[in-house]
Amino acid sequence: MSGPVEPLLERALAPIDPPADLSTRVMRRLEGIHDQATEELDGWELASMRDPRNWVRPAAALVVGTAAGAALVVLRVHQRRQAGGASPR
Amino acid sequence: MIELAKTKTQLDAEFESLYRTHLRDVYTYAYYRVGNHHDAEDLTEQTFLQAYRHFARAQQESDGRPLRPWLIRIAHNLAANHYRNRSRRPQSPLQDSESLAAAHSTEELVAGRDELARVLEAVKQLPEDRREALIMRFSLGMDNREIARALGRSDGATKVLIHRAIKQLEERMALAEGPA
Repeated sequence: MSGPVEPLLERALAPIDPPADLSTRVMRRLEGIHDQATEELDGWELASMRDPRNWVRPAAALVVGTAAGAALVVLRVHQRRQAGGASPR
Repeated sequence: MIELAKTKTQLDAEFESLYRTHLRDVYTYAYYRVGNHHDAEDLTEQTFLQAYRHFARAQQESDGRPLRPWLIRIAHNLAANHYRNRSRRPQSPLQDSESLAAAHSTEELVAGRDELARVLEAVKQLPEDRREALIMRFSLGMDNREIARALGRSDGATKVLIHRAIKQLEERMALAEGPA
């Protein structure tokens, strides 16, 4: 072998830039999850609350929807800053 | 209530910072794990969504340590589930010459394609844990302690793992070149 392997590894396993529109796709994905969770809650009839077995799905939808919605806000802010010319790193 | 809202705002700002700082790390790791851009994007999305859900707890438990190993560990676990669910072998970019072209500039490829291809071929033949450790070290620039946390091993075991990975790689490359 002609030299140490580490410099070769650094070149061979070079970091890869994500596609420029990945943030948008992440947002769409989060929006989808958020909308799905909202629909789940909308369709949940009050009567079903009487049966504790029915509490799990809406509660999970609430958790997922809240997390996705909040992450969405964060990433929108991030995207706006990027659009404004801020450095991504 | 105001205090709670402030905490939430702070958390969101810190998550945004984490996302901004480590998007490329997570994407790079995902790409070298799954072997194509489509699945790498999906894995990156899932990683950050899951990270957001558990961000507050991770911050508390991290005790001020960097959260990159935690993020990479999430990606690592999701990638493992990805293969388990789909029951298919990874299309590792280490096995794919088109991915090599995607990851390197034209000049690099012209100048050293053979050399890089030989390294990638040797890396491909390493056991999975050694290969992962090398991706974390050389693609992401993680130190031993970070890699140890990401892989759930001790610092000492990780140091040995990387040492053996590099040694095995050198042996394979020497073998491939033949006697001088």
